[in-house]
Amino acid sequence: MMGVISDAGKVVIFFFRILGVWKRKSISSQLMFEQIWKVTMQSALTTGMAGFFVGAIMTIQFTMQMKDFGALGYLGGLATSTTIREVGPLLIAFMLAGKVGAFTSAELGTMRVTEQIDAIRCLGADPIQELVLPRFIAIVISSFFLLGLGLLLSIFGGILLGEVFSGVSFEEYLRHIPTIVSLPSILTGLFKCFIFAVVLAVICTYRGYTTTGGAKGVGLAVVKTAVGTMVTIVIADWVTSLLADITLRAVLGT
Amino acid sequence: MFEHFVSFTEMTTHAIFSAFRPPVRIKESFQQLYFVANQSLIIIVFCVCFAAMVTILESSFHMRLVVQNDSMVPGFAAMLILRELGAVVTALLLTSRVGAGIAAEVGLMQTTEQIDALKMLGIDPVQYLVLPRLFACIFGGMILTIVADLVCIYSAMLVSDMYLGFSPAMFISGMRRFVHFKDLIFSVIKGASFGVVIPLVSCHFGFRCKSGAEGVGLATTNSVVTSSIVIIIIDFVLSYLFTHF
Repeated sequence: MMGVISDAGKVVIFFFRILGVWKRKSISSQLMFEQIWKVTMQSALTTGMAGFFVGAIMTIQFTMQMKDFGALGYLGGLATSTTIREVGPLLIAFMLAGKVGAFTSAELGTMRVTEQIDAIRCLGADPIQELVLPRFIAIVISSFFLLGLGLLLSIFGGILLGEVFSGVSFEEYLRHIPTIVSLPSILTGLFKCFIFAVVLAVICTYRGYTTTGGAKGVGLAVVKTAVGTMVTIVIADWVTSLLADITLRAVLGT
Repeated sequence: MFEHFVSFTEMTTHAIFSAFRPPVRIKESFQQLYFVANQSLIIIVFCVCFAAMVTILESSFHMRLVVQNDSMVPGFAAMLILRELGAVVTALLLTSRVGAGIAAEVGLMQTTEQIDALKMLGIDPVQYLVLPRLFACIFGGMILTIVADLVCIYSAMLVSDMYLGFSPAMFISGMRRFVHFKDLIFSVIKGASFGVVIPLVSCHFGFRCKSGAEGVGLATTNSVVTSSIVIIIIDFVLSYLFTHF
Protein backbone atom coordinates (compact mmCIF):
# COMPACT_ATOMS: atom_id res chain seq x y z
CA MET A 1 0.00 0.00 0.00
CA MET A 2 2.79 2.42 0.92
CA GLY A 3 4.52 1.45 -2.31
CA VAL A 4 1.51 2.47 -4.36
CA ILE A 5 1.24 5.83 -2.62
CA SER A 6 4.93 6.58 -2.97
CA ASP A 7 4.81 5.59 -6.66
CA ALA A 8 1.88 7.93 -7.20
CA GLY A 9 3.80 10.74 -5.56
CA LYS A 10 6.87 10.08 -7.68
CA VAL A 11 4.78 10.11 -10.84
CA VAL A 12 3.28 13.47 -9.91
CA ILE A 13 6.74 14.89 -9.17
CA PHE A 14 7.98 13.58 -12.51
CA PHE A 15 5.00 15.21 -14.23
CA PHE A 16 5.88 18.59 -12.75
CA ARG A 17 9.50 18.05 -13.70
CA ILE A 18 8.48 17.52 -17.32
CA LEU A 19 6.27 20.60 -17.20
CA GLY A 20 9.13 22.61 -15.71
CA VAL A 21 11.50 21.56 -18.47
CA TRP A 22 8.85 22.38 -21.04
CA LYS A 23 8.44 25.88 -19.64
CA ARG A 24 12.12 26.69 -19.32
CA LYS A 25 13.70 25.04 -22.33
CA SER A 26 12.97 25.01 -26.02
CA ILE A 27 11.86 21.80 -27.63
CA SER A 28 13.02 20.61 -31.01
CA SER A 29 9.87 20.56 -33.10
CA GLN A 30 11.39 18.13 -35.58
CA LEU A 31 11.91 15.52 -32.86
CA MET A 32 8.37 16.07 -31.66
CA PHE A 33 6.72 15.71 -35.05
CA GLU A 34 8.81 12.63 -35.75
CA GLN A 35 7.49 11.09 -32.55
CA ILE A 36 3.90 12.10 -33.27
CA TRP A 37 4.09 10.52 -36.70
CA LYS A 38 5.72 7.37 -35.35
CA VAL A 39 3.26 6.84 -32.49
CA THR A 40 0.20 7.59 -34.61
CA MET A 41 1.20 5.37 -37.51
CA GLN A 42 2.23 2.53 -35.24
CA SER A 43 -1.04 2.35 -33.38
CA ALA A 44 -3.59 3.50 -35.94
CA LEU A 45 -4.46 0.00 -37.12
CA THR A 46 -4.76 -1.50 -33.63
CA THR A 47 -6.82 1.35 -32.24
CA GLY A 48 -9.07 1.44 -35.28
CA MET A 49 -9.75 -2.26 -35.01
CA ALA A 50 -10.46 -2.00 -31.29
CA GLY A 51 -12.82 0.91 -31.87
CA PHE A 52 -14.68 -0.90 -34.61
CA PHE A 53 -15.30 -3.97 -32.50
CA VAL A 54 -16.26 -1.96 -29.43
CA GLY A 55 -18.93 -0.16 -31.45
CA ALA A 56 -20.16 -3.46 -32.82
CA ILE A 57 -20.36 -5.05 -29.35
CA MET A 58 -22.28 -2.08 -27.95
CA THR A 59 -24.79 -2.28 -30.78
CA ILE A 60 -25.38 -5.98 -30.14
CA GLN A 61 -25.90 -5.40 -26.41
CA PHE A 62 -28.26 -2.49 -26.92
CA THR A 63 -30.24 -4.39 -29.51
CA MET A 64 -30.86 -7.09 -26.91
CA GLN A 65 -32.15 -4.52 -24.44
CA MET A 66 -34.15 -2.33 -26.78
CA LYS A 67 -35.91 -5.20 -28.54
CA ASP A 68 -38.03 -5.89 -25.45
CA PHE A 69 -39.38 -2.36 -25.56
CA GLY A 70 -39.86 -2.08 -29.29
CA ALA A 71 -37.63 0.96 -29.13
CA LEU A 72 -35.11 -0.17 -31.72
CA GLY A 73 -35.34 3.23 -33.36
CA TYR A 74 -33.33 4.74 -30.55
CA LEU A 75 -30.58 2.19 -31.07
CA GLY A 76 -28.34 4.48 -33.09
CA GLY A 77 -28.53 7.33 -30.65
CA LEU A 78 -28.11 5.23 -27.51
CA ALA A 79 -25.26 3.06 -28.75
CA THR A 80 -23.38 6.06 -30.13
CA SER A 81 -23.93 8.12 -27.03
CA THR A 82 -22.75 5.37 -24.70
CA THR A 83 -19.74 4.68 -26.88
CA ILE A 84 -18.73 8.33 -27.06
CA ARG A 85 -19.29 9.13 -23.41
CA GLU A 86 -18.07 6.06 -21.66
CA VAL A 87 -17.18 2.76 -23.25
CA GLY A 88 -15.25 4.09 -26.23
CA PRO A 89 -12.72 6.22 -24.39
CA LEU A 90 -12.26 3.54 -21.72
CA LEU A 91 -11.67 0.52 -23.95
CA ILE A 92 -9.68 2.41 -26.57
CA ALA A 93 -7.53 3.91 -23.83
CA PHE A 94 -6.91 0.38 -22.53
CA MET A 95 -5.75 -0.56 -25.98
CA LEU A 96 -3.50 2.48 -26.19
CA ALA A 97 -2.08 1.69 -22.76
CA GLY A 98 -1.01 -1.66 -24.14
CA LYS A 99 0.29 -0.35 -27.42
CA VAL A 100 1.71 3.14 -26.97
CA GLY A 101 2.35 3.02 -23.23
CA ALA A 102 4.10 -0.33 -23.15
CA PHE A 103 6.10 0.48 -26.27
CA THR A 104 7.34 3.82 -24.96
CA SER A 105 8.31 2.47 -21.58
CA ALA A 106 10.12 -0.45 -23.24
CA GLU A 107 11.98 1.96 -25.51
CA LEU A 108 12.98 4.38 -22.74
CA GLY A 109 13.75 1.47 -20.41
CA THR A 110 16.07 -0.09 -22.98
CA MET A 111 17.83 3.24 -23.36
CA ARG A 112 18.19 3.45 -19.60
CA VAL A 113 19.59 -0.04 -19.02
CA THR A 114 21.96 0.20 -22.00
CA GLU A 115 23.17 3.49 -20.49
CA GLN A 116 22.20 5.58 -23.49
CA ILE A 117 20.46 8.04 -21.19
CA ASP A 118 23.66 8.46 -19.16
CA ALA A 119 25.51 8.96 -22.44
CA ILE A 120 23.18 11.79 -23.38
CA ARG A 121 23.80 13.39 -20.00
CA CYS A 122 27.56 12.99 -20.51
CA LEU A 123 27.26 14.88 -23.79
CA GLY A 124 25.89 17.80 -21.81
CA ALA A 125 22.29 17.45 -22.93
CA ASP A 126 19.26 17.09 -20.69
CA PRO A 127 17.70 13.64 -21.24
CA ILE A 128 14.30 14.90 -20.14
CA GLN A 129 14.43 17.64 -22.74
CA GLU A 130 15.79 15.41 -25.49
CA LEU A 131 13.97 12.13 -24.88
CA VAL A 132 11.11 12.40 -22.44
CA LEU A 133 9.52 15.70 -23.41
CA PRO A 134 9.11 14.98 -27.15
CA ARG A 135 7.64 11.60 -26.33
CA PHE A 136 5.35 13.04 -23.68
CA ILE A 137 3.91 15.69 -26.01
CA ALA A 138 3.75 13.24 -28.90
CA ILE A 139 1.85 10.69 -26.84
CA VAL A 140 -0.64 13.27 -25.59
CA ILE A 141 -1.30 14.64 -29.08
CA SER A 142 -1.39 11.36 -30.91
CA SER A 143 -3.44 9.57 -28.22
CA PHE A 144 -5.96 12.31 -28.73
CA PHE A 145 -5.97 11.66 -32.49
CA LEU A 146 -6.09 7.91 -32.01
CA LEU A 147 -8.96 8.04 -29.54
CA GLY A 148 -10.82 10.24 -32.00
CA LEU A 149 -10.15 7.74 -34.77
CA GLY A 150 -11.29 4.88 -32.55
CA LEU A 151 -14.52 6.68 -31.67
CA LEU A 152 -15.25 7.40 -35.34
CA LEU A 153 -14.66 3.79 -36.28
CA SER A 154 -16.81 2.63 -33.37
CA ILE A 155 -19.71 4.62 -34.82
CA PHE A 156 -19.00 2.94 -38.14
CA GLY A 157 -18.98 -0.50 -36.49
CA GLY A 158 -22.26 0.32 -34.80
CA ILE A 159 -23.85 1.33 -38.10
CA LEU A 160 -22.66 -1.85 -39.79
CA LEU A 161 -23.93 -4.15 -37.05
CA GLY A 162 -27.17 -2.17 -36.81
CA GLU A 163 -27.73 -2.88 -40.47
CA VAL A 164 -26.65 -6.53 -40.41
CA PHE A 165 -27.69 -7.73 -36.97
CA SER A 166 -30.60 -5.68 -35.70
CA GLY A 167 -32.18 -4.63 -38.98
CA VAL A 168 -31.93 -0.89 -38.35
CA SER A 169 -31.10 0.82 -41.62
CA PHE A 170 -28.21 3.23 -41.50
CA GLU A 171 -30.45 6.22 -42.24
CA GLU A 172 -32.53 5.35 -39.22
CA TYR A 173 -29.38 4.78 -37.19
CA LEU A 174 -27.84 8.11 -38.16
CA ARG A 175 -31.10 10.05 -37.84
CA HIS A 176 -31.31 9.38 -34.11
CA ILE A 177 -27.71 10.23 -33.33
CA PRO A 178 -28.20 14.02 -33.19
CA THR A 179 -31.33 13.72 -31.04
CA ILE A 180 -29.47 11.92 -28.25
CA VAL A 181 -25.82 12.80 -28.67
CA SER A 182 -25.55 16.38 -27.50
CA LEU A 183 -22.61 18.73 -27.46
CA PRO A 184 -21.93 18.14 -23.74
CA SER A 185 -21.64 14.39 -24.44
CA ILE A 186 -19.06 14.96 -27.14
CA LEU A 187 -17.19 17.40 -24.92
CA THR A 188 -17.22 14.86 -22.09
CA GLY A 189 -15.79 12.25 -24.45
CA LEU A 190 -13.07 14.59 -25.66
CA PHE A 191 -12.24 15.68 -22.13
CA LYS A 192 -11.91 12.05 -21.11
CA CYS A 193 -9.66 11.40 -24.09
CA PHE A 194 -7.40 14.28 -23.05
CA ILE A 195 -7.17 13.17 -19.42
CA PHE A 196 -6.44 9.56 -20.40
CA ALA A 197 -3.77 10.73 -22.84
CA VAL A 198 -1.98 12.78 -20.17
CA VAL A 199 -2.18 9.97 -17.60
CA LEU A 200 -0.85 7.47 -20.11
CA ALA A 201 2.00 9.72 -21.20
CA VAL A 202 3.17 10.51 -17.67
CA ILE A 203 3.10 6.96 -16.36
CA CYS A 204 4.80 5.33 -19.32
CA THR A 205 7.60 7.89 -19.56
CA TYR A 206 8.14 7.72 -15.80
CA ARG A 207 8.32 3.93 -15.76
CA GLY A 208 10.66 3.85 -18.73
CA TYR A 209 12.89 6.61 -17.41
CA THR A 210 13.34 4.99 -14.00
CA THR A 211 13.98 1.43 -15.18
CA THR A 212 16.76 -0.45 -13.42
CA GLY A 213 18.35 -3.84 -13.77
CA GLY A 214 18.92 -5.18 -17.26
CA ALA A 215 16.51 -7.07 -19.48
CA LYS A 216 14.50 -8.25 -16.48
CA GLY A 217 14.02 -4.64 -15.39
CA VAL A 218 12.70 -3.69 -18.81
CA GLY A 219 10.15 -6.49 -18.69
CA LEU A 220 9.12 -5.44 -15.20
CA ALA A 221 8.84 -1.80 -16.26
CA VAL A 222 6.49 -2.74 -19.09
CA VAL A 223 4.31 -4.84 -16.79
CA LYS A 224 4.16 -2.03 -14.25
CA THR A 225 3.32 0.49 -16.96
CA ALA A 226 0.47 -1.61 -18.30
CA VAL A 227 -1.03 -2.26 -14.87
CA GLY A 228 -0.51 1.29 -13.61
CA THR A 229 -2.00 2.98 -16.64
CA MET A 230 -5.05 0.73 -16.68
CA VAL A 231 -5.81 1.23 -12.99
CA THR A 232 -5.30 4.98 -13.24
CA ILE A 233 -7.42 5.19 -16.38
CA VAL A 234 -10.33 3.45 -14.66
CA ILE A 235 -10.10 5.82 -11.70
CA ALA A 236 -9.72 8.85 -13.98
CA ASP A 237 -12.77 7.66 -15.90
CA TRP A 238 -14.87 7.72 -12.76
CA VAL A 239 -13.54 11.10 -11.65
CA THR A 240 -14.11 12.73 -15.04
CA SER A 241 -17.61 11.25 -15.28
CA LEU A 242 -18.45 12.67 -11.89
CA LEU A 243 -16.91 16.05 -12.69
CA ALA A 244 -18.70 16.23 -16.04
CA ASP A 245 -21.98 15.30 -14.37
CA ILE A 246 -21.59 17.95 -11.68
CA THR A 247 -20.57 20.60 -14.21
CA LEU A 248 -23.48 19.79 -16.46
CA ARG A 249 -25.92 19.97 -13.59
CA ALA A 250 -24.49 23.30 -12.52
CA VAL A 251 -24.52 24.72 -16.05
CA LEU A 252 -27.93 23.45 -17.09
CA GLY A 253 -29.39 24.13 -13.67
CA THR A 254 -31.26 20.83 -13.34
CA MET B 1 2.21 -12.11 -39.64
CA PHE B 2 1.63 -15.45 -41.33
CA GLU B 3 4.77 -16.88 -39.78
CA HIS B 4 3.53 -15.82 -36.35
CA PHE B 5 0.23 -17.52 -37.01
CA VAL B 6 1.90 -20.78 -38.04
CA SER B 7 4.19 -20.98 -35.04
CA PHE B 8 1.36 -19.97 -32.71
CA THR B 9 -0.81 -22.80 -34.04
CA GLU B 10 2.09 -25.20 -33.75
CA MET B 11 2.67 -24.25 -30.13
CA THR B 12 -1.03 -24.48 -29.29
CA THR B 13 -1.46 -27.96 -30.75
CA HIS B 14 1.72 -29.05 -29.03
CA ALA B 15 0.33 -27.74 -25.73
CA ILE B 16 -2.98 -29.52 -26.22
CA PHE B 17 -1.37 -32.86 -27.05
CA SER B 18 1.14 -32.66 -24.24
CA ALA B 19 -1.69 -32.08 -21.79
CA PHE B 20 -2.56 -35.78 -22.05
CA ARG B 21 0.97 -36.96 -21.46
CA PRO B 22 2.53 -37.41 -18.02
CA PRO B 23 3.95 -35.79 -15.95
CA VAL B 24 1.07 -33.67 -14.70
CA ARG B 25 2.59 -30.61 -13.06
CA ILE B 26 0.14 -29.97 -10.27
CA LYS B 27 2.45 -27.94 -8.04
CA GLU B 28 3.44 -25.49 -10.79
CA SER B 29 -0.19 -25.17 -11.84
CA PHE B 30 -1.30 -24.12 -8.40
CA GLN B 31 1.64 -21.77 -8.03
CA GLN B 32 0.54 -20.10 -11.24
CA LEU B 33 -3.07 -20.07 -10.09
CA TYR B 34 -1.95 -18.23 -6.97
CA PHE B 35 -0.11 -15.69 -9.13
CA VAL B 36 -3.04 -15.24 -11.54
CA ALA B 37 -5.98 -15.25 -9.17
CA ASN B 38 -4.86 -14.24 -5.69
CA GLN B 39 -2.31 -11.63 -6.57
CA SER B 40 -4.51 -9.92 -9.17
CA LEU B 41 -7.61 -9.97 -7.03
CA ILE B 42 -7.17 -6.59 -5.35
CA ILE B 43 -6.40 -4.69 -8.55
CA ILE B 44 -9.31 -6.27 -10.38
CA VAL B 45 -11.83 -5.70 -7.59
CA PHE B 46 -10.70 -2.10 -7.26
CA CYS B 47 -10.90 -1.28 -10.98
CA VAL B 48 -14.10 -3.13 -11.66
CA CYS B 49 -15.73 -1.29 -8.76
CA PHE B 50 -15.03 2.08 -10.37
CA ALA B 51 -16.07 0.84 -13.81
CA ALA B 52 -19.43 -0.31 -12.43
CA MET B 53 -20.04 3.03 -10.74
CA VAL B 54 -19.44 4.86 -14.01
CA THR B 55 -21.67 2.44 -15.88
CA ILE B 56 -24.65 2.92 -13.63
CA LEU B 57 -24.29 6.71 -13.60
CA GLU B 58 -24.09 6.76 -17.39
CA SER B 59 -27.06 4.40 -17.80
CA SER B 60 -29.16 6.60 -15.60
CA PHE B 61 -28.12 9.65 -17.65
CA HIS B 62 -29.18 7.93 -20.88
CA MET B 63 -32.42 6.54 -19.55
CA ARG B 64 -33.49 9.97 -18.35
CA LEU B 65 -32.67 11.31 -21.79
CA VAL B 66 -34.60 8.69 -23.74
CA VAL B 67 -37.55 7.48 -21.71
CA GLN B 68 -37.75 10.36 -19.20
CA ASN B 69 -37.59 8.08 -16.19
CA ASP B 70 -34.86 5.85 -14.90
CA SER B 71 -36.80 3.03 -13.28
CA MET B 72 -35.20 0.50 -15.63
CA VAL B 73 -31.66 1.54 -14.76
CA PRO B 74 -30.85 -1.32 -12.34
CA GLY B 75 -31.94 -3.91 -14.86
CA PHE B 76 -30.08 -2.37 -17.76
CA ALA B 77 -26.93 -1.70 -15.82
CA ALA B 78 -26.88 -5.19 -14.30
CA MET B 79 -27.37 -6.72 -17.73
CA LEU B 80 -24.56 -4.65 -19.22
CA ILE B 81 -22.32 -5.55 -16.29
CA LEU B 82 -22.96 -9.27 -16.54
CA ARG B 83 -22.87 -9.50 -20.30
CA GLU B 84 -19.93 -7.23 -21.04
CA LEU B 85 -18.19 -5.28 -18.38
CA GLY B 86 -17.39 -7.91 -15.77
CA ALA B 87 -15.69 -10.29 -18.13
CA VAL B 88 -14.01 -7.81 -20.48
CA VAL B 89 -12.54 -5.42 -17.94
CA THR B 90 -11.27 -8.36 -15.91
CA ALA B 91 -9.70 -9.91 -18.99
CA LEU B 92 -8.03 -6.67 -20.08
CA LEU B 93 -6.59 -6.15 -16.62
CA LEU B 94 -5.38 -9.75 -16.54
CA THR B 95 -3.75 -9.18 -19.91
CA SER B 96 -1.77 -6.26 -18.63
CA ARG B 97 -0.80 -7.88 -15.36
CA VAL B 98 -0.55 -11.60 -15.99
CA GLY B 99 -0.04 -11.61 -19.75
CA ALA B 100 2.74 -9.05 -19.71
CA GLY B 101 4.27 -10.81 -16.70
CA ILE B 102 4.28 -14.18 -18.49
CA ALA B 103 5.77 -12.67 -21.65
CA ALA B 104 8.53 -10.95 -19.69
CA GLU B 105 9.27 -14.07 -17.67
CA VAL B 106 9.33 -16.51 -20.57
CA GLY B 107 11.16 -14.00 -22.78
CA LEU B 108 13.81 -13.59 -20.14
CA MET B 109 14.15 -17.37 -19.88
CA GLN B 110 14.57 -17.51 -23.64
CA THR B 111 17.24 -14.79 -23.75
CA THR B 112 19.19 -16.25 -20.84
CA GLU B 113 19.04 -19.69 -22.53
CA GLN B 114 17.14 -21.28 -19.66
CA ILE B 115 14.72 -22.78 -22.16
CA ASP B 116 17.57 -24.47 -23.99
CA ALA B 117 18.73 -25.75 -20.61
CA LEU B 118 15.27 -27.24 -20.01
CA LYS B 119 15.44 -28.99 -23.37
CA MET B 120 18.88 -30.35 -22.48
CA LEU B 121 17.42 -31.82 -19.30
CA GLY B 122 14.82 -33.61 -21.36
CA ILE B 123 11.95 -31.43 -20.15
CA ASP B 124 9.46 -30.28 -22.74
CA PRO B 125 9.40 -26.47 -22.34
CA VAL B 126 5.87 -26.17 -23.70
CA GLN B 127 4.58 -28.70 -21.21
CA TYR B 128 6.62 -27.24 -18.37
CA LEU B 129 5.88 -23.56 -19.00
CA VAL B 130 2.71 -23.21 -21.05
CA LEU B 131 0.39 -25.84 -19.58
CA PRO B 132 0.44 -24.70 -15.91
CA ARG B 133 -0.13 -21.12 -17.05
CA LEU B 134 -2.96 -22.18 -19.32
CA PHE B 135 -4.64 -24.08 -16.49
CA ALA B 136 -4.13 -21.17 -14.11
CA CYS B 137 -5.47 -18.55 -16.51
CA ILE B 138 -8.56 -20.55 -17.46
CA PHE B 139 -9.53 -21.26 -13.87
CA GLY B 140 -8.35 -17.91 -12.60
CA GLY B 141 -10.25 -16.16 -15.37
CA MET B 142 -13.46 -17.98 -14.45
CA ILE B 143 -13.12 -17.32 -10.74
CA LEU B 144 -12.10 -13.70 -11.18
CA THR B 145 -14.98 -13.09 -13.59
CA ILE B 146 -17.49 -14.32 -11.02
CA VAL B 147 -15.89 -12.18 -8.32
CA ALA B 148 -15.81 -9.19 -10.66
CA ASP B 149 -19.49 -9.61 -11.56
CA LEU B 150 -20.40 -9.79 -7.90
CA VAL B 151 -18.35 -6.73 -6.96
CA CYS B 152 -19.67 -4.82 -9.96
CA ILE B 153 -23.28 -5.43 -9.06
CA TYR B 154 -22.64 -4.69 -5.41
CA SER B 155 -20.95 -1.37 -6.12
CA ALA B 156 -23.62 -0.46 -8.67
CA MET B 157 -26.20 -1.15 -5.98
CA LEU B 158 -24.30 1.02 -3.53
CA VAL B 159 -24.07 3.94 -5.96
CA SER B 160 -27.70 3.67 -6.98
CA ASP B 161 -28.68 3.69 -3.33
CA MET B 162 -26.63 6.76 -2.50
CA TYR B 163 -26.78 8.76 -5.68
CA LEU B 164 -29.85 7.73 -7.70
CA GLY B 165 -32.23 6.90 -4.90
CA PHE B 166 -32.93 3.21 -5.51
CA SER B 167 -33.09 1.16 -2.35
CA PRO B 168 -31.23 -2.17 -2.57
CA ALA B 169 -34.56 -4.03 -2.64
CA MET B 170 -35.71 -1.97 -5.61
CA PHE B 171 -32.39 -2.59 -7.30
CA ILE B 172 -32.58 -6.34 -6.88
CA SER B 173 -36.21 -6.65 -7.92
CA GLY B 174 -35.51 -4.43 -10.93
CA MET B 175 -32.50 -6.54 -11.74
CA ARG B 176 -34.44 -9.79 -11.57
CA ARG B 177 -36.66 -8.74 -14.46
CA PHE B 178 -33.77 -8.47 -16.88
CA VAL B 179 -31.02 -10.71 -15.62
CA HIS B 180 -31.22 -14.47 -15.68
CA PHE B 181 -28.92 -17.15 -14.42
CA LYS B 182 -27.76 -17.86 -17.96
CA ASP B 183 -26.21 -14.39 -18.11
CA LEU B 184 -23.84 -15.40 -15.33
CA ILE B 185 -23.00 -18.62 -17.19
CA PHE B 186 -22.25 -16.64 -20.36
CA SER B 187 -20.05 -14.33 -18.37
CA VAL B 188 -18.07 -17.26 -16.97
CA ILE B 189 -17.72 -18.79 -20.45
CA LYS B 190 -16.34 -15.48 -21.66
CA GLY B 191 -13.90 -15.36 -18.77
CA ALA B 192 -12.66 -18.86 -19.55
CA SER B 193 -12.20 -18.12 -23.26
CA PHE B 194 -10.25 -14.95 -22.50
CA GLY B 195 -8.21 -17.03 -20.08
CA VAL B 196 -7.22 -19.34 -22.94
CA VAL B 197 -6.03 -16.43 -25.06
CA ILE B 198 -3.78 -14.67 -22.55
CA PRO B 199 -1.19 -17.35 -21.69
CA LEU B 200 -0.98 -18.77 -25.20
CA VAL B 201 -0.31 -15.41 -26.83
CA SER B 202 2.10 -14.31 -24.10
CA CYS B 203 4.07 -17.55 -24.17
CA HIS B 204 4.22 -17.40 -27.96
CA PHE B 205 5.83 -13.96 -27.88
CA GLY B 206 8.01 -15.01 -24.96
CA PHE B 207 9.41 -18.01 -26.84
CA ARG B 208 10.23 -15.85 -29.86
CA CYS B 209 11.91 -13.17 -27.78
CA LYS B 210 15.13 -11.78 -29.20
CA SER B 211 18.07 -11.34 -26.89
CA GLY B 212 18.81 -8.13 -25.04
CA ALA B 213 16.76 -5.60 -23.15
CA GLU B 214 15.08 -4.40 -26.32
CA GLY B 215 13.86 -7.89 -27.20
CA VAL B 216 12.20 -8.42 -23.83
CA GLY B 217 10.46 -5.05 -23.99
CA LEU B 218 9.23 -5.72 -27.50
CA ALA B 219 7.94 -9.20 -26.63
CA THR B 220 6.01 -7.85 -23.65
CA THR B 221 4.50 -4.99 -25.66
CA ASN B 222 3.49 -7.26 -28.51
CA SER B 223 1.89 -9.78 -26.21
CA VAL B 224 -0.23 -7.12 -24.47
CA VAL B 225 -1.41 -5.59 -27.74
CA THR B 226 -2.15 -8.88 -29.47
CA SER B 227 -4.01 -10.38 -26.52
CA SER B 228 -6.11 -7.24 -26.06
CA ILE B 229 -7.14 -7.18 -29.70
CA VAL B 230 -7.86 -10.91 -29.74
CA ILE B 231 -9.90 -10.54 -26.53
CA ILE B 232 -12.04 -7.78 -28.03
CA ILE B 233 -12.62 -9.78 -31.21
CA ILE B 234 -13.51 -12.94 -29.27
CA ASP B 235 -15.82 -10.86 -27.10
CA PHE B 236 -17.58 -9.64 -30.23
CA VAL B 237 -17.98 -13.17 -31.57
CA LEU B 238 -19.22 -14.56 -28.25
CA SER B 239 -21.67 -11.67 -27.73
CA TYR B 240 -23.03 -12.35 -31.19
CA LEU B 241 -23.36 -16.06 -30.46
CA PHE B 242 -24.98 -15.57 -27.07
CA THR B 243 -27.75 -13.41 -28.51
CA HIS B 244 -29.16 -16.56 -30.10
CA PHE B 245 -29.83 -18.18 -26.74
